[in-house]
Amino acid sequence: MHCFFAAVSLKTVQTVLKLLLLSFRERVDGGRIAVQVEDNVVRIKNVKVNGRAEAAGDCRQRLLEFAFDYCYWSVNPEAPNYASQEEVFQDLGVSVLAGAAEGYNVCLFAYGQTGSGKTYTMMGTPDSIGLTPRICRVGLQSKPEYEIYNERVRDLLRGTNQKKPPSLRVREHPEKGPYVQGLSQHVVSDYKQAVDLLEEGIANRITAATHVHDASSRSHAIFSIQYTQAILENNLPSEIVSKINLVDLAGSERADPQYCRDRITEGANINKSLVTLGIVISALGIRHAALSFHALVLSEGEGSQSSSLSGIGRRLCFIPYRDSVLTWLLKDSLGGNSKTIMIATVSPSCSSYNETLGTLRYAAHARNIVNKPRVNEDANVRLIRDLREEIDRLKSMLLSFSMRNPSPSLSDERDSSLSDMVLQNELKVRFECTCLP
Amino acid sequence: MSSTNIREWRALCEKFRRAQDLSEIESKKDPENDPFRSKYKARELLKEIYSSVKNLDADESEEEDSDGQTVDVGTEDAALKAYAGDSRAGLRAVKLGVVDYYLGVNHIETEELSAGEEHLTNCMKCLVKCTVTRENVSLLIQARNQLGILWAGRDDTEKAQGFLETAESVYICYMKEDGQPPLDLVDFFVTEEEAPSQQERMRRFEMAYTHTLYYLAQVYKNLGHFERAGQYCHCTLQRQLNFNQFVPLEWAINAATLSQYYITKTRYMEARHCLAAASVIAGLAGEVPSEAAAKESETEYEKREQLRQKRAEISRCWIKYCLNLLQDAKKLLEDNIGELDLDRQEELQRARQNEEEEKEKGRKSAVLFDSGDTFDSICGLEEKVSCAFPLNFEEARAIFLVGQGHVMQAKEYFEMDGHVTDHVEILQDHSALFKVLAFFEQDLERRCKMHKRRVDMLEPVCKDLNAQYYLLICRQLQFELAETFYEMMDLKLAVADKQDQPDSHTIKKFNNLCTASIKYYQMFLDSIRSPEGKFPEKLEDDLLRPALVAKFRVARLQSKIISGSLTTQLENLTQSLDSYNFVVQYCEEHPEAKKVVETELELSEEMVSLLPIKMNRIRSKMASSNIQ
Repeated sequence: MHCFFAAVSLKTVQTVLKLLLLSFRERVDGGRIAVQVEDNVVRIKNVKVNGRAEAAGDCRQRLLEFAFDYCYWSVNPEAPNYASQEEVFQDLGVSVLAGAAEGYNVCLFAYGQTGSGKTYTMMGTPDSIGLTPRICRVGLQSKPEYEIYNERVRDLLRGTNQKKPPSLRVREHPEKGPYVQGLSQHVVSDYKQAVDLLEEGIANRITAATHVHDASSRSHAIFSIQYTQAILENNLPSEIVSKINLVDLAGSERADPQYCRDRITEGANINKSLVTLGIVISALGIRHAALSFHALVLSEGEGSQSSSLSGIGRRLCFIPYRDSVLTWLLKDSLGGNSKTIMIATVSPSCSSYNETLGTLRYAAHARNIVNKPRVNEDANVRLIRDLREEIDRLKSMLLSFSMRNPSPSLSDERDSSLSDMVLQNELKVRFECTCLP
Repeated sequence: MSSTNIREWRALCEKFRRAQDLSEIESKKDPENDPFRSKYKARELLKEIYSSVKNLDADESEEEDSDGQTVDVGTEDAALKAYAGDSRAGLRAVKLGVVDYYLGVNHIETEELSAGEEHLTNCMKCLVKCTVTRENVSLLIQARNQLGILWAGRDDTEKAQGFLETAESVYICYMKEDGQPPLDLVDFFVTEEEAPSQQERMRRFEMAYTHTLYYLAQVYKNLGHFERAGQYCHCTLQRQLNFNQFVPLEWAINAATLSQYYITKTRYMEARHCLAAASVIAGLAGEVPSEAAAKESETEYEKREQLRQKRAEISRCWIKYCLNLLQDAKKLLEDNIGELDLDRQEELQRARQNEEEEKEKGRKSAVLFDSGDTFDSICGLEEKVSCAFPLNFEEARAIFLVGQGHVMQAKEYFEMDGHVTDHVEILQDHSALFKVLAFFEQDLERRCKMHKRRVDMLEPVCKDLNAQYYLLICRQLQFELAETFYEMMDLKLAVADKQDQPDSHTIKKFNNLCTASIKYYQMFLDSIRSPEGKFPEKLEDDLLRPALVAKFRVARLQSKIISGSLTTQLENLTQSLDSYNFVVQYCEEHPEAKKVVETELELSEEMVSLLPIKMNRIRSKMASSNIQ
């Protein structure tokens, strides 16, 4: 199957948006191609699979367009627009490293259908190494102080002989930021060690997946690098610590139950549990500014360009749904002083039409992830009223000065109250001035 | 039935049981590279059952029914009903229908949607000629449920809606006209000793209908009919409780979430009912295991975490209830500068009498969780907090205290260490509770103390948080602190106005509040700088207004500071002028900013033209005093 990737890059602090689309060659299944890439625009055409009723739902025979900041096509190496791993690294990897060097936390994650090549992009193959090892290599050359750990719901780098590893929890430290409780950390000094750890993690992930049914497409693999730089600040030695998170997300078909907005969830086989009822409820047009990817994507389009901030300060309600790993991951990336790059991977094959469309939409929606500082301005009305009064006073003062005819009330200076003292500046000055010969 | 037939029948039942087992139990163990192995095996068995039923019954049946005739599934006209659901032909139809149903589900589960659809449609065709009876009513509902899911999956929500709404009306009609416990689908293929009990049959039947409502809730949500969707979610919850088909913690969280929906619709009575029910039902989930027990076993640890987290989350929903109720009341009562409007207060208090009678009527028509033995506890909990807008300080305080109680409970689980963002969100709500309570407080000194409480809870957090990870939160806190100090400065001014001659202590306090407010606005502005300390040439859209407003307020505050020294006065005014200038210049260079800060810009422009005159006078005064 041919595959390619779409990537969205966001700098959440400055909210500069970059989207990329790139592709790579996996296996050839001779499937027809439903996607075209031209410059930074992706077009996806809905082709009925083979006239069978299966496709009856997909009756929209139109060409949909999605614009990204960059698009890469790597379906076949012969193609003139083919993008290699090196090219992708030059664009994405280099900016990741640059961001970390500037002191930003950087998060790069791949999102897409299982089999569309997320892991290929993030990790690569021995012949064609991917972003993570490339970032490690260059990063290590420039600065060998690294702590690397690899995390999943379970620690992929802890000894494999443990029968039932404890499930790890994501926690937030006020000073050190979000972390995974109980995760092992490994200090490495060269590229080989880093890659060895990486490979060990991948191997453990595969074994874990066979033990836990259905686990592979549900798990997120995170490779986290702590980047420490020694600097001189005001002639004193200091450190800049930043974090690079490289994330291979679960298959998009599993990672995001909320995004399947057009499907309905079945409950017949689950005895008492209507698992997604809560998700249904929380999507009932409840306006909430929770710092969650889903919430932000879903609430897109409502008052996104508000000129008055009066409503933004109010977080109306609390939605107690927080199971998505994606949510905390993005909380880390979007809530802090960080840069985030999202790589969405899709297959151009007609048979993946629905998934591809879903992924492209999701990636395109990522543009709307803008964290507005919710500031409250209740005091503004009074402030403006006060200021208008002062302006009026200043103006009448100016007027009286120019006429050299002070009004009796204003010349009658009373130093009695604090309010008056606040006005003292102008009053006193005016008074003094008018007394000048 | 002859003995051969009985033996055949028993074999058929056994086959059916085997198919169920394969499909429900063994399929869970299928390997990833052959995920549907057991489902396919089950399918083969079901196919065999289908042809057996066809043959078996063909032998028995005297009259040939019109099998070949095509009947439009969509028409439910009574004239077309060829025979009663409980007639021999009717029973034959329902038996074949049941197998078709299971085959349909099997195909859908193995991702062969169109084949699945065919079987389900077949099943409906079998039954369309029958009247609705206790034999087929369950199948009629369940097959439509499946078709609803199928079409929703194909993005044809309207078609799904059609099937599900029909299922809904079939249930309602049956319960009205018949109502006796219907047969379950498996009833047709189990021997007597294995047949489900009457109670179990009823349970499954009601469950199928609960699912219909649950699917309809999703369909309405997808169609954007949120009001209806909310109603169906509510009914789903009510039925789960009614038929005791729920997991307490999950149910409680769903009810708590629904309360948040009602809050946004300002339906506080319903919101409170959902929250009270959530709290009571969450209580059914059992005792929180002790810390010691949690250390001993992973299961106990999980359970402890779950229980504490979910209960804390329900508390957070309560906080939002109290906060929104208070804030909505404030909106009703405030005048154009945000102070309590006494006329309005009186008017609303007078109007309340009538309103309460309305409320009582409303309650009678609302969907209540009144079926279980938990109803009394739910009502008891409801009585502890009002659902009417508070109109005076006493009423506001009562709601505030309930909210504050939940703040304490929520913070017990969401501690700062480990749950930074959640903890801060709760603190922000706590601060907002104080802020809105202060609105109802007429005594200015006490009002000021309430704002001081806000400062006390937010300031240490703002100091401790690392902006590298919590930039957004830090900015929010900085802004809120700046505003709170501003508020306090304003109040100090109002209090001091009542005194004759402010002492130096009051002046100092006033100046301190000004400086503190400036400090936090400045921190907010500094957070926008790049790591190298450079202020951006162009502000991002989301920061544009907050940043310019912060600058504007700093300007205002700088000119407010009281000083006896003319030099200091001049310095402060110079800084103030610079800040006003910043706003004006920024808008000149970036015209798109003008409409975002219209009023602030207009005032800044005036100040930029007026302040220099004022400063000149100070200068000339200084010059004259030097001469003297």
